[in-house]
Amino acid sequence: MTRYAMVMDTRRCIGCQSCTVACKIHNELPIDIIYNPVTTIGPTGTFPDLTLSFLPLICMHCDNPPCVDVCPTTASVQRDDGIVHVVDSKCVGCLSCIMACPYGARQHNHETGTVSKCDFCKDRLEQGKLPHCVATCHQKARIFGDLHDPDSDVSKLVKNNRTVQLLGELNTNPNVFYIY
Amino acid sequence: MSKNVDLNQEGVQVKKSACYFCHQNCGVLAYVKDNKVLAIEGDPEFPTNQGGLCSRGNSALQHLDHPDRVNYPLKRIGQRGEGKWQRIPWQQAIDEIAARLSDIKGQFGAEAVATAGGTQRTDDWARRRFMNLFGSPNGFHNAHLCWIPTFMIETAIYGWCPFDLDLGNSRCLVLWGQNPGASGMPEMHHIVDLQQKGLKVIVIDPRYTETASKADLWLPLRPGSDLALALAWLHVIIYSGLFDQEYVDTYCEGFEALTDHVADFSPEWAAPLTWLTADQIRDSAVMYATNKPGNIQWGTSVDQIGRPAGATMHARALLRALTGNLDVFGGDLLTGPSKEFITDEEMEANDSLPEEQKTKQIGSDRFKMVTWPGYGRIAELSKAFWGKAPTAEWMCEAHPPSVFRAILTEKPYPVKALLVSATNPISSYGETSLVMEALQKVDFMITSDYWMTPTAMLSDYVIPAAGALERPTITSSYGCADFLLASQRAIQPMYERHNDYNFWRDLGVALGQQEHWPWETVEDAYFHKIEGLGSGAENYDQFVENVRFHFPEREYSKFKERGFATPSGKVELYSSVLEGLGYPPLPEYVGPTENEIDHPDLAKKYPLVLTTGGGFMPFHHSEHFQIKSLRYLRHEPYMDINPATAASLSIKDGDWVWIETARGRIRQKANLTNGIDPRVVFTQRGWWYPERDMKSPGLGGCTESNANVLTTTADKDCDPYSGAWANRGLLCRVYKADPLGDKEVS
Repeated sequence: MTRYAMVMDTRRCIGCQSCTVACKIHNELPIDIIYNPVTTIGPTGTFPDLTLSFLPLICMHCDNPPCVDVCPTTASVQRDDGIVHVVDSKCVGCLSCIMACPYGARQHNHETGTVSKCDFCKDRLEQGKLPHCVATCHQKARIFGDLHDPDSDVSKLVKNNRTVQLLGELNTNPNVFYIY
Repeated sequence: MSKNVDLNQEGVQVKKSACYFCHQNCGVLAYVKDNKVLAIEGDPEFPTNQGGLCSRGNSALQHLDHPDRVNYPLKRIGQRGEGKWQRIPWQQAIDEIAARLSDIKGQFGAEAVATAGGTQRTDDWARRRFMNLFGSPNGFHNAHLCWIPTFMIETAIYGWCPFDLDLGNSRCLVLWGQNPGASGMPEMHHIVDLQQKGLKVIVIDPRYTETASKADLWLPLRPGSDLALALAWLHVIIYSGLFDQEYVDTYCEGFEALTDHVADFSPEWAAPLTWLTADQIRDSAVMYATNKPGNIQWGTSVDQIGRPAGATMHARALLRALTGNLDVFGGDLLTGPSKEFITDEEMEANDSLPEEQKTKQIGSDRFKMVTWPGYGRIAELSKAFWGKAPTAEWMCEAHPPSVFRAILTEKPYPVKALLVSATNPISSYGETSLVMEALQKVDFMITSDYWMTPTAMLSDYVIPAAGALERPTITSSYGCADFLLASQRAIQPMYERHNDYNFWRDLGVALGQQEHWPWETVEDAYFHKIEGLGSGAENYDQFVENVRFHFPEREYSKFKERGFATPSGKVELYSSVLEGLGYPPLPEYVGPTENEIDHPDLAKKYPLVLTTGGGFMPFHHSEHFQIKSLRYLRHEPYMDINPATAASLSIKDGDWVWIETARGRIRQKANLTNGIDPRVVFTQRGWWYPERDMKSPGLGGCTESNANVLTTTADKDCDPYSGAWANRGLLCRVYKADPLGDKEVS
């Protein structure tokens, strides 16, 4: 069974925010909603002994998604392929999921009254295309694919590199892996 | 693909278009139906971006039909800057402009008409063709700040500019004042790929940039002190015996003179001038000289340091030859112009400009390398060796600050008309007060642009320009590459917008140049250029759809057979071409344009070193400030300052501050960052506020945060070789601005 996952190769990310903008423009998000911010860490240290890194964030599409557990209307769902998304027609905007998500990946959409979040561009996947943030990344710092396919780039990267899942101690078991 | 758009619906065509928001021209697939673009995305088959698009590239549809775009020709009916316009038909605009230019030519001579361009965002061989046929030598761009002086000085020394790096086979890359991490995305991902295979990367930059953070070695030099570093590298490479003996003996002239010349330029000499340690200078020179083959990538910074710019390019150019990295496998290649397709220069009709008019080119009496005297000499050598010359538009231009001064003083003669296309000089040219005064005074000004810029506001006519997705594109490094990448327009221009080609052509036809403009459309002209490639295509669009790229096979070490395109046929370490034009044949040391050693009094008043002009995402030069989906990333201008310096000035993160030089002051917000030397500040370029009232005198706040208010274009501050003015290595002071107004806080 397919399990969609994303690898963030932070060694390659340069913080250009193309992913942030591509997602916002092509998913036609309101100005105050960002699904995938890129956080700048640094420059840390004292000039000129410095380090600088960039941390691209996104919904972690957890194996054990707390947002789905708390949703009182079953609007938040997890598909068999691991994609966590919101069924707009069922969402009443109670915001429970926003409070439950430890990653800040969900936002209240004031235009629709519902909660909005990344869905790995599931409509594009159906047409054989990559999520916008992945396709647009010049640096190839975002890699997307099927974690259960041993030949996929994501499964090879996860297998062959030291990777981290954010807030792994919460047992959410994210499907977003960071190489650093 | 935009949300809710079915791209599989009947009638959707995929056009192989290009982004036009910087000159990387990344490949874009445009999904088009009924002359309407439904969606765009990066073209995965395009060799440079490989599917990637930066923030700007993604905003193509927001740009295409933005409510603020200029869509029809406008004629001024109120006072200049009052914003009162009358919409007129295209042909009426062309006819009226042509009539006025004709009058000016009759009264003052063709040279009284000048044109201003920006960066390479237009088909400027067409502009040149128009100007040559009209008879004026006074076209100019910001060419002086972007590669062109480098191109000409390198060509003087070894017969072409080695801008084509054989990076895939290289072991060491020097990024000299370049930050592809913020301004050259397609390049950056190749660099990171190659680093993973062992490529060493040296970044020379005062700032700890995105790129510096990925480098093997970062040299945070004092802004504008690049010449001392280059001379010290020459010293180390020669006096530590790291040069390529065979290459130097066989293919170079003047080694002994150079050896003597750099004897005193030791790392210890350069250390206090560059603020680097002698060890940093020595180690970096050794890294470049011993990891062969290696490359030195051009970056704009050296073009923008003013007075020492030309000597710096000269010294830097010699490094490639000494190390034997010139035109060899993995090195910096001398490709020459294309022999297979018609180059931009061949489209320019340069022979149409009478010799007498060439001598009138403003600035050619002082700044010879990028005006007719230097260009003429280099074109002659180039034609003899390569059979063709470099593009004249860009490489041979009037000196912009001198043209602005000519408008004001009528010296050396009156300049009465300025045709502005694809630039907003108020934001983009040096010393804004000079530019503003000139634009307000010039008798007749027209502007062709996407937007109602501050410059457009002061114009007599505003001409709507077609942009990305509405124009075909040939990408060929200012017409000087032997390769090309071809892209098609996705749709015909919307409203009454026209390609810049058609503007120059129509104007030319109205002025009696009909027989010289056989190509009705841009595609016709492009097809004429590429027809000789023998691709089998019957028209330009077919070429794009079926062929699209032309990359000739690389030939290494051509000099072994043919020598170099110089008078001696060798690399002239001691340059006879420069000497013949009255310049030093070896690079002589001169300090940064403003510095604490040569100008101690100035440094007391302005104790910090200013660098400006560097690119930052998501904007390009003075563009894209209108687009909300980009602007939200950086909605206000920021200057970088070290926290220690800020603390000493009681400046907190996010405070509005004034940055002031001897020319004037601007306001930006303080970004406290450790990534900059406590003695240096960096201001963002390009800022204006299109959301504000565009009428005079404010003109969209175009001087409030505009870094060019700070820059200098005085002759004494310009590079004597090229006339490049100074954006970097200037002296400034910084103080907190009153959040409520203009008042200085003491």
